[in-house]
Amino acid sequence: MSTWILGVSALYHDAAAVLLRDGVIVAAAQEERFSRVKHDASLPVRATKWCLEQGGISIGDLDHLVFYEKPLRKFERILANSVATFPRSWRAFPRQMVTWLGSKLWVRNQLVATFAIQPHKLLFSEHHLSHAASAFLCSPYDEATILTVDGVGEEATTGLWRGTAEAPFIEPLAEVRFPHSLGMFYSTITALLGFAVNSGEYKVMGMAAYGEPRFRAEMDQLLRLEDGGAFSLDLDYFSFHYHPTQSYRPRLVDLLGEPRMPGEPFRPTAIAGDASAEAVARNQRFADIAASAQAAIEDALLHVVRAAHAEHGGDTLCMAGGVALNSVANHRLAKEGPYDKLWIQPAAGDAGGALGAALWAWHCVLGKPRTATLDRIDLGRSWTRDQTRQILDDLGITYEDLGDTSASTERAAADLAEGDIIGWFDGRFEWGPRALGHRSILADPRGADTKDKVNARIKFRESFRPFAPAITEEAADDWYDIAPAARVPLRFMLATPTLKPEREGSLPATTHLDGTSRVQIVRRADHPHFHELIGAFSGHSDTPVLLNTSFNLKGDPIVTSPIDALATLRRSELDTLYMDGFRVPSPD
Amino acid sequence: MGRFRQTWIGLVSEVSWRLPGWPVKLLTAFGQAERGSFYDMLAAAEATDRPDLRRKYFEHALDESQHAIYFRDRIMALGGIDRARAAMEEAGALTSRGIVGGESLYERLGELDFLAFVHVAEAEAIEQFNVYCARELPDPETIAMLHKIMPDEKFHMAYPLHELEQRRKQGEGERVDTALRRVKWNRLKEGWLRFSRDIGHVMSSLWLFLLYAILIPPFSLLGKVERGGWQAPRSDRRPLAVAARSQG
Repeated sequence: MSTWILGVSALYHDAAAVLLRDGVIVAAAQEERFSRVKHDASLPVRATKWCLEQGGISIGDLDHLVFYEKPLRKFERILANSVATFPRSWRAFPRQMVTWLGSKLWVRNQLVATFAIQPHKLLFSEHHLSHAASAFLCSPYDEATILTVDGVGEEATTGLWRGTAEAPFIEPLAEVRFPHSLGMFYSTITALLGFAVNSGEYKVMGMAAYGEPRFRAEMDQLLRLEDGGAFSLDLDYFSFHYHPTQSYRPRLVDLLGEPRMPGEPFRPTAIAGDASAEAVARNQRFADIAASAQAAIEDALLHVVRAAHAEHGGDTLCMAGGVALNSVANHRLAKEGPYDKLWIQPAAGDAGGALGAALWAWHCVLGKPRTATLDRIDLGRSWTRDQTRQILDDLGITYEDLGDTSASTERAAADLAEGDIIGWFDGRFEWGPRALGHRSILADPRGADTKDKVNARIKFRESFRPFAPAITEEAADDWYDIAPAARVPLRFMLATPTLKPEREGSLPATTHLDGTSRVQIVRRADHPHFHELIGAFSGHSDTPVLLNTSFNLKGDPIVTSPIDALATLRRSELDTLYMDGFRVPSPD
Repeated sequence: MGRFRQTWIGLVSEVSWRLPGWPVKLLTAFGQAERGSFYDMLAAAEATDRPDLRRKYFEHALDESQHAIYFRDRIMALGGIDRARAAMEEAGALTSRGIVGGESLYERLGELDFLAFVHVAEAEAIEQFNVYCARELPDPETIAMLHKIMPDEKFHMAYPLHELEQRRKQGEGERVDTALRRVKWNRLKEGWLRFSRDIGHVMSSLWLFLLYAILIPPFSLLGKVERGGWQAPRSDRRPLAVAARSQG
């Protein structure tokens, strides 16, 4: 008889559900993909319902439902912090208490009431333990040092762990506690630069390439690196630990200058256009702040892992937590860090906590040996071709049935080579925040104006943000300088190698200002259709690379269903949609 | 009822559109409603098994998406960039939309009540927009935008009405009337609940603030913000099987 475990993360941001059968991942999805609310934090009812359907079971068949953190410990930290920061916490305290006393404190009751699960089947992991489990227990490695870094969990903001081949599998070594947090440091700079906290951090990463780290000394004042890989924040500059909406104090503005207004056009020197000299200078300062913060967090991570390696040895590092989605920092860790092997769980943020919680229950609580390796990330829902055809017919949409996805790759490649921008919808959707060839917008990366076209006609997003290239595994080393330790993270678009000098200028649409790209290495075994498509495109262009960006418009979660994909086609200027073997041209 | 409602909307609107900062707030609320409606209609298009309705829901969804963009552009033009982002991008902004307990509005209501809901909600929106335009409460560009979206709103109100009328002709008049009454009652009830929740929120915040001001100070003398740097992980002496079942 099989053992079924459901991992759940929720109630902060990026709720998700993951179903394991005898330790093997059957289904994994974020709630936002079903509810269509970006970063949806509510209990993942729809994701759970679908996971159970995918497993062919009902909630009563579950052996355990595992929540990814311990809510009472988190509440204790919030209470203790409010007391410690009295009277400055006067605004935050009532707000936090209303939220916590009103719902978050009663997680057990909510889980029982919402999922109709028997209370004795409920388990509660810990936030960073869930991250650690998600990083290590589905990695291909028997032993590793594990680093978890995010904003905050219960108390910890950074955790160092040892992963072992035998029980207990994961041992805690040390932790840094709130409010000293690399994640909150980066989020504060994100807020100062006018982006939304918890979703705009990657924009800061993109902005950084336009600047010079001339505020590096100031960043050292904010984030102090200490002996033994330790660090601390100078809390005189921050207010996130006692203020409900404001992350920083006026002192930070004195140090770095006036904050950027949300939505303000970004016009630093490199893309000044017709902006005034004053605006360019102001924007260059923002770029320099972003570059400085990026350099600071990279240095901090290197500082932590070098010390961890010096003390605990080993050749493998596994990482998770929101900060592990910083692909530029990851690449520096791969290039300059002391570990030969690097594994980063692709849904490294809080959604991944659901995976970690489930794996922790299977291995650590139930004592089962290591089983799962996360290779394929197409773990979400798919639609049958009959279902898709029905939708197309019902909506009266003109389409061609090319047979199956394989048959459509050649046609799609030809369209791409002609300069079309296509939507690519293939089978099950991806686990994690990246579109890796199952729900992607694709374009020819060779055109100098492709990036602007995709931005202006389809994605409607900030022009300074780069697009990612997807390249076949066989061709990757011919095109990019890839640090050996970055090879595995690049399968999940989690590092940023540089284009080889002899290829310079050949992929303008996917090469960032600093020459780097957030590359995805596509293996045939992981993404057979996508691999075939890139191969076919190479046949037309001698370029085994495609521009690959997530299939969504600004503000939307990545598309889930055929209906979402068709709505995105109609709301943008995509040329064609390829959907599980159906070719749908734009109606215009 | 209709005249009373219009007078009431007129009175409230006269005040709200003239309060400083409120035009942007109101436009934000409309923008969020349009965007939430886009997702609700898309979910309905996905769930219905009637091809003709699927097409109408789909077109309706696309209209709502476009309207949300119009509202966003007006919000930005009026200087509310942050709010424009909130209206279009942030999850919190959409919490008032139809998803409750993991079910979309369509799934919760079923086809008949959903059609009744769409008809009633769109009719109310048209009524509101008409009052705003007749009294010239928003700025001229916003009035022009409302005029621009009005034909779509009329279609959104009319097709569910047509469907309800068809059902009436098929002998389901009583069910249709009940659905319309239920939807109107539920909208009133939800409005009241929202108002009560807001009042409750203010009251509980006030009480919690008093609690904070009275009870926390003595403890604050002992409270200390955690120091930076590495610390030993908390040790938990409980057996793993026990600790794993605990929320704390």
